[in-house]
Amino acid sequence: MKLIKSIVRPNKVDDVREALEKLNIPGMTVTEVRGHGRQKGHTAVYRGKEYNVTLLPKVEIEVVVPDELADDVIAAMIGAARTGEIGDGRVFVTPVEHSYNIRTGERDV
Amino acid sequence: MSDSRISSDSTLPAAAADATRSLAPEWSARFAAARETLRIEALAGRGGREAQRRYAAAVDDLLRRLASHAAAVAGPLAPWVVAAVGGYGRRTLCLHSDIDLLIVFGGPIGPAEERFLSGVLQPLWDLRLSVGHHVRELGDLDVEDENNPEFELALCDLRLLTGDVALFDEICARRRPDGARGARIVATLLPLVEERYASFNDTVYQLEPDLKRAPGGLRDLAAIRLLRTAAREAFAGRVTPEGERLDQAEELLLRMRAVLHATTGRDANVLTHELQETVATVLDMPGATPRLRVEALMGQYFRHARRVVRALAWTRAVVRPPAPVADPGRISAHVEVGADGVRFADPVLAATQPMAWLEAFEVAIANGYPVSDDVLVCIQENVGRYPAEYFVATEDARLRLRAMLDPRPGLSARLGDMLECGLLTALFPEFEKIRSRVIRDFYHKYTVDEHTLLAIRSLESLRHPVSAGRARFASLLNELPAPELLVLALLYHDVGKWRDDDHATESARLARPMLERLQLEPADRATVEFLIREHLSMSRVVFRLDVGDPDVVASFASLVGSEELLKMLCLMTVVDIDAVAPGTLTPYKEDLLWRLYVDTYNHLTLGYADELISREEADRTRVFAECPDDITEEELARFLDGLPRRYLRVFSLPDIYRHVRLARGLHPDEVHLSLERRDAIWVLTVAALDKPYLFSNIAGVLATFGMNIHRGQAMTTPDHLVLDVFEFTDEEGFLRQNAGAREEIARVLRNVVAGATDVRTLLRGRERSPLHRRRTDIETHISFDNSHSARHTALEIITADAPGLLYRISRVISDMGCDVDLVLISTEGRKAIDVLHVTRNGAKLDEQDQHALRQQLELTLEDY
Repeated sequence: MKLIKSIVRPNKVDDVREALEKLNIPGMTVTEVRGHGRQKGHTAVYRGKEYNVTLLPKVEIEVVVPDELADDVIAAMIGAARTGEIGDGRVFVTPVEHSYNIRTGERDV
Repeated sequence: MSDSRISSDSTLPAAAADATRSLAPEWSARFAAARETLRIEALAGRGGREAQRRYAAAVDDLLRRLASHAAAVAGPLAPWVVAAVGGYGRRTLCLHSDIDLLIVFGGPIGPAEERFLSGVLQPLWDLRLSVGHHVRELGDLDVEDENNPEFELALCDLRLLTGDVALFDEICARRRPDGARGARIVATLLPLVEERYASFNDTVYQLEPDLKRAPGGLRDLAAIRLLRTAAREAFAGRVTPEGERLDQAEELLLRMRAVLHATTGRDANVLTHELQETVATVLDMPGATPRLRVEALMGQYFRHARRVVRALAWTRAVVRPPAPVADPGRISAHVEVGADGVRFADPVLAATQPMAWLEAFEVAIANGYPVSDDVLVCIQENVGRYPAEYFVATEDARLRLRAMLDPRPGLSARLGDMLECGLLTALFPEFEKIRSRVIRDFYHKYTVDEHTLLAIRSLESLRHPVSAGRARFASLLNELPAPELLVLALLYHDVGKWRDDDHATESARLARPMLERLQLEPADRATVEFLIREHLSMSRVVFRLDVGDPDVVASFASLVGSEELLKMLCLMTVVDIDAVAPGTLTPYKEDLLWRLYVDTYNHLTLGYADELISREEADRTRVFAECPDDITEEELARFLDGLPRRYLRVFSLPDIYRHVRLARGLHPDEVHLSLERRDAIWVLTVAALDKPYLFSNIAGVLATFGMNIHRGQAMTTPDHLVLDVFEFTDEEGFLRQNAGAREEIARVLRNVVAGATDVRTLLRGRERSPLHRRRTDIETHISFDNSHSARHTALEIITADAPGLLYRISRVISDMGCDVDLVLISTEGRKAIDVLHVTRNGAKLDEQDQHALRQQLELTLEDY
């Protein structure tokens, strides 16, 4: 299994969700996060005062999928979240040893 | 046993586990039958007080048998008592409620006592009952357990089940809830109530209420009884206001809770959407569909919960009387203030004087006072006789009602009172459609009417923001010239939710009769309608579109049209989200909303110059369609062409046609003007052909008469037509005190524009006067922006406001050889925020120009 974590623009959540639904991915976790990549935030000027917005609002989407689906999921996430502009986000992939269902205590196979 | 205190969160020592324990089959069967009876009663809608009392009696019987048997086989025991406490002590025991027990020994707890405990408790656990047990030696009860206030409160419902009567009497003597101990109980209970209320946002109107813990729930009923017992002397001679109604409320709550326990098979107290249908069916609520039955159930629940909350509020006020709200005394002919809030001077007369009702709330809101129960009862009994039109029949009444809605601390609480007594729905009958309205979704936690009041509460809290994140939005509220329009829009933003589809459009439709009744100015009416209709638009943009995309910002800016509407819509969005549920408006969402606000504000103030009215524009088409007969299409087209698109968004149609007439037949050095009063504000509209120093001369003339300019805008067309609109207050009363003041201002203005009078001469005396010096505690910011407009440099100046400021700024600009083409003037308290679009020799200012102009402006403002 793989844990696929993507950091995307807030307005891309629905697009990513729809793309994952098409792959029949059953569940996901969505979290409001803030951060910056290479662009280091942006500078805004309001009424003559300049202020830096170092940590930009983003959304983190996490899914755990079987190994054989990982590439399709990554491609779907990238395809749905991409605008081609700086700040589109990142996808991280990590291996998952086990997962358990809390209600039943059963280990997923 | 070294620690004689054992509670349900600790286990018995291992030695006790193999102690004698027994549960005779016939006891078990008898008890099972009692549970099954309660389950059946609960699912038949009869699981209220009597059913629970019978079940509690069965548990009593079981415990007596168990204790008797355990005592017989445990060996010699110190005197002991098994007593019921908490809800079980009150004999309100639901199917899966904790069975709260207090077991006390008159001597040290040794092996025999441990065997006894095991003999009592183990069979209960074997029955899979949830037991809350507290084991104490008598001496332990001399000291109150400060770390366990719930235990101390549970002791107040102590009830003997079995054991040594003398020992029980001794316990009661030590823990009787009166005197000093009563005071301590009050002191313990009140903070717990406050904490619990805060966790529910202080409202009964939960969409999925917790029947036990939510305001108006069973905990409140227990708190009422406990407070009235613990502070018995304070209630001596008082008649409780609720009569029999608390018993009715408790019966309903108990029956509802019984259904939840029987249906879920656990200690479930939250009336979820799914369970509401079940409970409504079981309790035989009226209605042909499940939805109607649920609405009937929730309506009944809220009615009872409100009564419980009011009874608890009354009880709390008796045991801890609030500080007197003011020196008691008469406020007006109809209203006075007493220790319990605003009252009617003559309650009998007030029953037939509806305008006195509004006056009572006016006084309460303006001074932060509560309204006494007598006032609410009087209104409630009489309000049904008067239609909405009655309350707004005169201009004075309309203006007072509008002023009352100015957002400030206490407004939402008083609106809540008005809702309770029926006055709010008498004034705004459309609001009745969402009274206790339940909308099922994933996000909202409150009924629609309560969500609305919470949104207003969120808005008023911005007067004293609690975080830097909120302070940003608070500054917008302080800049609004008519924040009461935002409250009016909030009151109606969700009334369309009585239907299930597109509620924003329906809300705007329902608001129109109200706007008619209040006879608002067309521009104000348009503002309220816009806010209601578009109250979801900013959320949609922020959370569904890329706010970093300039096209998205431009499109949103086009929707709102002016920075004033932007500020109002932004605030409406913020408080609407905040009122959905605690924690919904996260700092994350605040940042997203603020970013869109800033980018849109900059677009509207710095970037509007290049967006000129186009022939295809819908707003322009509308202006032509409604054009009066005295204005030809050619004349209208000539006037509009070259004006920024913003013009059509900020002026109403009557204003536009008036401007067209004002611009007729202008000659060089001539000025056409109109001066009119709108409440406390004067509006001067000036049309002229452009010439150097024109803007500063007009601003200078207003300064000579002591006028303080708060808002305004100036526009210049490529044909050199200038249209300036100033909104100002008559600080020195010149217009108010002099019959020919208007003509005098017009005469001086004409002379100055024609060059016959030098405005600098007129202002000389004022400039020297220390009375007109600016305060210097507001930092000055001067910035230039060449990025937003292709043709202009946007100069933004933020500084301390003072009479004559605009004149000085614009004079410096003209002195430096620059032309002022567009101006936006606004103020936030004592802070002036001016944006001027300037050119020099028809081009943007280069860095050298900017540097020189900045220096001159700084010098002027320093010396001012």
